[in-house]
Amino acid sequence: MDHAAALPLDSQRPEPGAGVYNMKLGMWVFLLSEVMFFTSLIGAYIILRFAHPTAFAEPGVVLNVPLTALNTFILICSSVTMVKAFAAIQQGDQRRLKQWLLATAGIGAMFLGVQAFEYYKLVGHGFVPNVANYAAEGEPLYGATFYTMTGFHGAHVAIGVLSLLFVSWRAFRGKYTAQSYGGVEIVGLYWHFVDLVWIILFTIVYLM
Amino acid sequence: MQSTAPMMDAPLHWAGHDEPQSFLRRYIFSTDHKIIGIQFLFMSLFFLLVGGILAGIMRWQLGYPGQPLPASGMLPETMVVDGIILPEFYNSAVTMHGTIMVFFAIMPLLVGVFANYLIPLQIGAPDMAFPKLNMLSFWTAVPAGFIMLAGFFVPGGHAAAGWTSYPPLSAIPEYSGVDLGQRLWLISLIILGFSSLMGAVNYITTVINMRAPGMSLFRMPLATWSLFITAHLVLLAIPILTGALIMLLFDQTIGTSFFRADQGGSPLLWQHLFWFFGHPEVYILILPAMGFVSEIIAAGSRKPIFGYHAMVIAIAAIGFLGWIVWGHHMFQSGMNPALGAAFMGTTMVIAVPSAIKVFNWLATMWRGDLHFHVPMLNAVAFVAMFVIGGLSGVFVASTPVDIYLHDTYFVVAHIHYVLFGGSLFALFGAITFWYPKMFGRMMSEGLGKVHFWLTMLFFNATFFPMHQVGIGGMMRRIYDPLQYEYMQPMAPTNRFITIAALLLIATQLIFAFNFIWSMFRGAKAEANPWRANSLEWVVPSPPPHGNFTEMPHVYRGPYEYSLPDEAEDYMPQNVPPGVPRPSSTPVHAG
Amino acid sequence: MQPTAADTAAASAPDSRPHPNYLGIFGILFVLTLVEVGVAFIGLSKTLTVLALLLLALWKALLVALFYMHLRYEPRRLWMLTLMPLPLAIILVVAVLTEF
Repeated sequence: MDHAAALPLDSQRPEPGAGVYNMKLGMWVFLLSEVMFFTSLIGAYIILRFAHPTAFAEPGVVLNVPLTALNTFILICSSVTMVKAFAAIQQGDQRRLKQWLLATAGIGAMFLGVQAFEYYKLVGHGFVPNVANYAAEGEPLYGATFYTMTGFHGAHVAIGVLSLLFVSWRAFRGKYTAQSYGGVEIVGLYWHFVDLVWIILFTIVYLM
Repeated sequence: MQSTAPMMDAPLHWAGHDEPQSFLRRYIFSTDHKIIGIQFLFMSLFFLLVGGILAGIMRWQLGYPGQPLPASGMLPETMVVDGIILPEFYNSAVTMHGTIMVFFAIMPLLVGVFANYLIPLQIGAPDMAFPKLNMLSFWTAVPAGFIMLAGFFVPGGHAAAGWTSYPPLSAIPEYSGVDLGQRLWLISLIILGFSSLMGAVNYITTVINMRAPGMSLFRMPLATWSLFITAHLVLLAIPILTGALIMLLFDQTIGTSFFRADQGGSPLLWQHLFWFFGHPEVYILILPAMGFVSEIIAAGSRKPIFGYHAMVIAIAAIGFLGWIVWGHHMFQSGMNPALGAAFMGTTMVIAVPSAIKVFNWLATMWRGDLHFHVPMLNAVAFVAMFVIGGLSGVFVASTPVDIYLHDTYFVVAHIHYVLFGGSLFALFGAITFWYPKMFGRMMSEGLGKVHFWLTMLFFNATFFPMHQVGIGGMMRRIYDPLQYEYMQPMAPTNRFITIAALLLIATQLIFAFNFIWSMFRGAKAEANPWRANSLEWVVPSPPPHGNFTEMPHVYRGPYEYSLPDEAEDYMPQNVPPGVPRPSSTPVHAG
Repeated sequence: MQPTAADTAAASAPDSRPHPNYLGIFGILFVLTLVEVGVAFIGLSKTLTVLALLLLALWKALLVALFYMHLRYEPRRLWMLTLMPLPLAIILVVAVLTEF
């Protein structure tokens, strides 16, 4: 049984929680749900591949590994620019904040461009998601899983780019300071997460 | 502490700093968690009605196959011809009854309503961590609801592959006869998933970071604890469903082959993904109810909850174990027998924390100063009905038994004892209990009692015989039981069930009437009509925007009832020790 | 633990938190990516390739999570929260793999 506190409480601050501000905690909690979402898609791929190995092709046969390795490098670069934007506003450096934020958005857009080009080429070779038009190595299941996983990852990147542009716009309006940079930090967390998913995807889908 | 850098979050707005707002901002596009909770309440009660009507249609067909459905003249020829329910429409009714009840009635009633309404009040916060996200969560659920309803009006009718939507039936329109309806079903649930996720993020962040000083985790009311754990289940299970729904949608629209065995896919994969979500989902549907029951039983017994810590650990244990039992929905799928055995083991284990809770509720009531008002009646009924449902669950948890009982009415009985006997009774109790806080008026005790007893009677009359016909071999989702000779002797029982079910549905009109009438004519409610201890009862009924005029301070747990040497038999959490309290009016007793 | 006034002041001061070497981490990520591509095409046995690639991917993911997402420097309660989905993901995939 709980006994009443011995000392009177006079604090105006809530109980210790996670130790981080609400927006950051909220973004982390959201990212946990995203882990589960990609688990369902990537998990489905792993399971289907294990069940039907011949439906899929060896690395490099259908998919363009060098191009995608370059794209991986591009996305990692954007993570660096993102973290530099974050470091900048922690120092109160408004100019570098804006520069690095725009750089991140731009490099992210570049990633999407390369991926769109990759899709265009793949479709040209008959590598499509649906059964009826599939004409590449392996079987349609390969196309279905590939486009679903990379497509949803790409969609997340696109949302990330739009969020970065939004945060950049707010940065230009002077909304962030060295004491108040939550928006930059949480968009950074989302962006790094998207990079992290790509690291897993690239390995599992392109290299295995 | 709330933040490492104090300026990162918006400042807290306590009560009394209200800026005037337009009607639209106050009641329609509100960011106030209480209004949002009430919005979910109205939406969910509407869907509960729709789900109930669908059940009535199903039961008519099962009780009186081939006989004209009364008042069916207004239904189109695609559903009912000369009063006879078409098999295609029957399949849709079965599917939509389950879908609407699970996703649009019970889940939003338990979580959308009460997580929103109770959490900030019970932890001493002015609102949720993300009020605008909260508003978005409701307004995302609304289009999902419209899309789900739209499916009834499209060519081919609504989804008809069961609420579990197994491919290939759900993936191939030629098999089910349904094309657009199934797609709308998928799209609606995908959108609803977003709504649920937004809610979960809000509830988890709020409980972790916004508890008033003195409100340690182990001083939180069990309603908040159960909603907090439930939010984790929602957060991690819904995305799995979303992924599976997307893949099924692609199979249907783009022509992929995720779940089509004839094209290299795996229907078994759908079952695993669906139930990996589906099992935590059923705990989402029961845990909050357990939390509400704890609040009501403690307040109604004027006694602390027996074994508060054990209750918390049991909730967490159910939440945790709920992830590793999903295969018990699939014993008949041809799954790896070793895997099946593992699931049987884990499923048996999960009965233990549930049983602990039952014993603790009973021990709470033992030698208590029992007040059998309407919430208490419903809460005690929950315990009894949940035990019955739990016992039938132990039967189907055993693989060899389930091989016989799977997809029979025995399972339907089990489901409804836990979902209706459990969750819905808890909801009737919870709505009655917190109605005064929400609307500033008491519901009619007399009508509440009539509703309760008739519901208890008709509920048991409807669902208990289903154990029997299920063991007798009557399968689920069947349209015409009389086509099988061995089921013909069950016809009288099925008629009995149908009559009981129709009376059960009709009885709910009493609740509906009570709910609406009391809003205008109910006795005005004071702040604490039940003389309970948690923080929502220290503020006015209904509470102002911002809940508390200043940050409350918490000095004790929520179940300090009948303390020795105290004039009152309750002690709210925020009363400082040693402060004399004015005597209060008698509890609104039964 | 209750933070003191000094903690809060220190935490809100600019650039007070430990600062990983971002470019250094980038270098390691770059090298690891090259190693991964090499491992994939070097012709090891299937099991060994899969194992090596998973370890390399995990290493890269941890670097991003710990240093770019700053988990290394966050309170323990936070990163314990982030561990939650991982066992679930593993259980789902491993359990279903036994079916095939």
